[in-house]
Amino acid sequence: MLGRWIRFLLAIAFGAAAGVGIGWLRAPAASAEQRAAQLRIDYQSDVVLMIAEAYAADQNLAAAIARLVFLQRSQPAEIIQQAINFGERYGYSDSDLQKMRALLTAVESLTPLVGTGVP
Amino acid sequence: MNERRGSLYLLTGLLLGLAIGLVYSLYLQPVQYTDLSPDLLAAADKDQYRALIAVAYLASGDLVRARARLALLKDSDPYNALAAQAQRWLAEGKAADEARALGLLAADLAQAQATLLAPTVATPANASPSPPAAVSPSPAGSVATPSPAETISSPAATLASPQPTTSPQKPFVLRKREAVCDPALGKGLIIVYVWDAQGNELPGVEIIINWEGGEDRFFTGLKPELGLGYADFAMQAEVVYSLRIASGGEPVFNLSAPSCTAANGEAFPGVWILEFVQ
Repeated sequence: MLGRWIRFLLAIAFGAAAGVGIGWLRAPAASAEQRAAQLRIDYQSDVVLMIAEAYAADQNLAAAIARLVFLQRSQPAEIIQQAINFGERYGYSDSDLQKMRALLTAVESLTPLVGTGVP
Repeated sequence: MNERRGSLYLLTGLLLGLAIGLVYSLYLQPVQYTDLSPDLLAAADKDQYRALIAVAYLASGDLVRARARLALLKDSDPYNALAAQAQRWLAEGKAADEARALGLLAADLAQAQATLLAPTVATPANASPSPPAAVSPSPAGSVATPSPAETISSPAATLASPQPTTSPQKPFVLRKREAVCDPALGKGLIIVYVWDAQGNELPGVEIIINWEGGEDRFFTGLKPELGLGYADFAMQAEVVYSLRIASGGEPVFNLSAPSCTAANGEAFPGVWILEFVQ
């Protein structure tokens, strides 16, 4: 009788292991749920650069802040600073860094207003 | 009988375990992705990413960089993805500036592609099997698995692409206004073609259309397969429209769907064709 219980529990354990494996391995199919906040740091930095390029042209800070929401960070200034650090480390052009710094300066001037950011 | 029961309880245990494992791995402890590449984003975030590429392009005019960024999304046809999103967003009344930027980028991509192809077609004997390096960023090699420097550094080479033609200086003049009864062209459409003074089709030209109690905007270049200077608008029956180019020019009044009769005697709404030249 005890042997039957052991075999039963082993079967459950084997099934559970298979279920976990299937669930985690099939996860790539669920990538439809992936958000921009999960982008790799170089891609996030490029997103910041795109926003900075647009801001450099139109000087529309409201639009830039709205676009930064895409990255779902509570502090927009933080992600811009992170992108600048990344850019300095990986050799972004001076012109690109300048655009990001200009955006950072503008966003920091509004920090009390934008600090609450994204939930 | 005992033998069958034996195998059944094992099967029951296996299925029970499988269910527990699936619930745990899919709901209680699902895989958390980090360090994603843009092609793995949800569709809505991909749209946002594409829109950011377009607004950055509108600001910088750097088509090489825009193309490299678009390649990260791994759309099977980037140009169609841009044009479709521009039309979708315009129809939804969503982010008009971004929609316009998307349309312009789509049109410029198509135009650059046409520019690249033109010499190959004209002189097939001298055609090189690969396009010039300066205009071929080799997406498969350099963009699909970008290192930070490859992704973001400013390419020295610049494509001799047309600059976005967002606010032409000279006003547009109506060269042709014609009602056409040809079901092949469409039904109940206002079709607009816009050219510059040199006879080049102009993408990204904003057109404002008004009717009693309403206004809408549309752009040339969102259907590049029909021409970069092409735009169309679907008229409602028995509504009178007026239309003008947003940046200035001659307005067109009293546009309503022409009444046409097909060969079989069936009535259908015709098409207005309007041609503007700068």
